[in-house]
Amino acid sequence: MVALLKTPADWPAILLGRAGAADPTDLDVAVRAGAFDGLRRATRDLGPTGTIATIAGSGLRGRGGSGYPTAQKWRVAATTEAPRRYVVANGYGADPAAGSDRFLMETDPFSVVEGVAIAAFAIGASEAIIAVRSEASETIRRLEAAIAAAEEAGFLGFDALGSGHDIGVSVRGVQGAYMLGEETVLLKALEGKRGQPEQRPPHPAERGLYGMPTVVNNVQTLAAVPWIVRQGGPAFATTGRPGAAGTILVQLRTPAGIGIAEVPLGTPLRQVVELGGDLPKGRSIKAILVGGPSGGLLPAELLDTPYDFESLRAVGAHIGSGSMVVADDRACVVDLARLLTRFCSSEACGKTIPCRIGTRRLVEIADRVAEGRPRPTDPGLIADLSADIVASALCDHERLTTFPLGTAMRYFRSELDEHLLRSACPAGVCHPIALAAAAIP
Amino acid sequence: MSLIPGLGIVSGMALTLRRFFEPKVTIKYPEVRLDPPHKFRGRLQLLYDEWGTLKCETCFQCAQACPIECIDMGGMDTRGRYHVHWGAPETYGERREESALRRSGRTVPDPAYQPFASIDLTAVDAVLDDFDRDPAHMLEILEATQATYGYLPVAALKRISNLTGAWYAMIYGTASYYRHLRFEPSSATSQAAAVEAQRPAETTYLAAFDTALGGAASATGGGRRTSKPRAQA
Repeated sequence: MVALLKTPADWPAILLGRAGAADPTDLDVAVRAGAFDGLRRATRDLGPTGTIATIAGSGLRGRGGSGYPTAQKWRVAATTEAPRRYVVANGYGADPAAGSDRFLMETDPFSVVEGVAIAAFAIGASEAIIAVRSEASETIRRLEAAIAAAEEAGFLGFDALGSGHDIGVSVRGVQGAYMLGEETVLLKALEGKRGQPEQRPPHPAERGLYGMPTVVNNVQTLAAVPWIVRQGGPAFATTGRPGAAGTILVQLRTPAGIGIAEVPLGTPLRQVVELGGDLPKGRSIKAILVGGPSGGLLPAELLDTPYDFESLRAVGAHIGSGSMVVADDRACVVDLARLLTRFCSSEACGKTIPCRIGTRRLVEIADRVAEGRPRPTDPGLIADLSADIVASALCDHERLTTFPLGTAMRYFRSELDEHLLRSACPAGVCHPIALAAAAIP
Repeated sequence: MSLIPGLGIVSGMALTLRRFFEPKVTIKYPEVRLDPPHKFRGRLQLLYDEWGTLKCETCFQCAQACPIECIDMGGMDTRGRYHVHWGAPETYGERREESALRRSGRTVPDPAYQPFASIDLTAVDAVLDDFDRDPAHMLEILEATQATYGYLPVAALKRISNLTGAWYAMIYGTASYYRHLRFEPSSATSQAAAVEAQRPAETTYLAAFDTALGGAASATGGGRRTSKPRAQA
C-alpha cells in the first residue's frame, strides 16, 4: 500500500478519520470509534427522506469525477417506481497509476460498508454491490470480512438494525478494461455484458442495473456519508469550499516520492504539491498532471488554482481519478500528452465513431509531431478534431481524452512550437526527432 | 369508387397506351447511373483502412444488431487471433466456402477452415448449474469456464449459449471485450501479442509513464521499470 502523507492538523479528517487501526476489519474497535452510528441515526431518527435531506444539506457531490450532487441522484432513484432498486459502490479505480479508492477500502472498510448501507436504506434498495478490481484480493478480503462482521452484529442483512429494511451488501470483483470506471459500463459488466456505455438520459438512477433504479456512487462519496449523517449536513458544508464541500483523497506523485493525502476541496494545488516534499536539487516543476490518464497538464503558473470540480474544469483539467503527478524538467510535455492520449485511445470501448476513430487520429497527429515530421496544419487539426470529439461524445471518456493534448497546446505552446517548427525536442525526450532534425540540411 | 363508373379502368388504360408509344429507354451502365433508392445498402463487404488492413475487428456487434440476422461469420477472425462462429450451423460462412471449394474439385487450403475441436463439456455444464444457467451471471460463468479449461473453447461458448439461451454473439461480445478472457490456451502467444498490439496492458502504460517522467520513482509498485534508449539533445 502507498504511504499516507502528513497533512496540516487543521484539515478535516472525514474519510480517513479512523485510519491507523491495527486491524481495519475489527468491528468492535470500529464501533467504538463511531462506525455504524450513522446507520443507526439514519434508520432510527431520520428515515429515508430525512437521510436524503441531510445529504442534500451537506452539499455532498460525487467523488468519481463528475461532481454530480449525491442527494439528487438518491432522490431520483428513491422516487422512481420500481419493484427493486440497487446501490452500486464504484471502487474499481480505473486509473492504473492511482490507488486512493483501494487505499480507502483497505484502511477503513467499515466506512464504505456503512455508507453503502445508508444509501441502500435511503433509496429503499435491498441489494448493494461494491465493485472492486479482481486483482485487489486484499481489498476484497477486508471488505468481505467487514461485511460478515457487520451482518453478524445485525447492522446488515435481514431487518437491519430492526428497521424493517433488508440490506444485503456483497463484493464483486470485476476486471479487464479501463472503461469499467464509467458508471454505465460498470453496470454492464455486473450484468455480464460487453462493457460499453449507454446513452443518457435515462440515467442509472432511473434505469440502471437490470433496468432498475440504481445509485452508482464512488466509494469515497459513500465513505463520507456516515460522517455526514452522524455530524449533520451543515458541519460537512463548512469543510472544503462553498459549492464543493468535504474532502477527497489525492494520490500525489512527485519526483521526491509518492503518497496519498486527504485534501479538503478547494485547496490550492500548490499546497497539495507541497505535501509531497521538496523536489530533488536542481529540478523545477514543469507540468502537473491533474486527473489521471485523461487529465490536464497544468503549468507551474496555475499552481494557485483551487482543487475543486469547476475550477479545474475551467483550466482544462478535472478531478478524475484523484491523482496528481508532478513532472519535472526532465519530461517533455508533448511526449507525455502523446502517451496519455494513446492510453485513453487504446482503452476506448469503440462504441462511438468520434471515440474509436477520432481519438486514434489524435494519437497519430501527436505521434508525427513527436517523431519530428509534423505538418503545419497539425495544431489546427488537433483543435478541430478535439472540438468535434467533445461535441459528439457519448460518454465522458472521449471528452476527457482530448484534455492532455488540449492543455499541452494551451499552456506549453512554445515547447510544442519547438517540435512543430524546428523539429526539436527541448527536453531531449522525443526519440526519433533528433534523427529527423539532423536529416534536415 | 369514383363517381363515374369505369373511370378508373379508363385512366389506367390511358397510362398503358401512353407508355406503349413512348420510346423505350436503356440505361447505358456504367456511363449512365441511376440513383439507387436511399435505403439501398448493397452487398455486405468488409472495408479496408488506408494502410490496407481490414477495419473489421470481428466483434460480432453487426451480427448482433442485424434485425433479420443475415450476417454470419466463421473461420479465423480478421486479426488472425482465434476461431469465430456465429449463425445457424448450416449457414456458417466457412462451411459454404468449403463446400464450394470441394465442389470445384480443389482442396481446402486454409487451416482456418478446420472446424472447431469438440471437447468434454461436462465441466461447462457443472459451471452453468452453479449459476442457475442465468445469463445475468455471464461474466462469472465465462470466468469459471476459463478457470476450468484455461481458455474459452468455442465449443464451450456454444454450449453456454445453448443452455442459457443467450445469443452466441452476446456471449462472444462479452468474452472478446474483457482483457483477461482469452480464446486460445495461454501457451499460444498469438492472441496475447495481437491484444497487446491493440490494447497494451496496464503495466506497459505504467512503464512508459515512468519513462516519460524521466525515470522518477515507480508510482504504483505494479509498473515494471524499463530503460528505453533516449536521444541526446
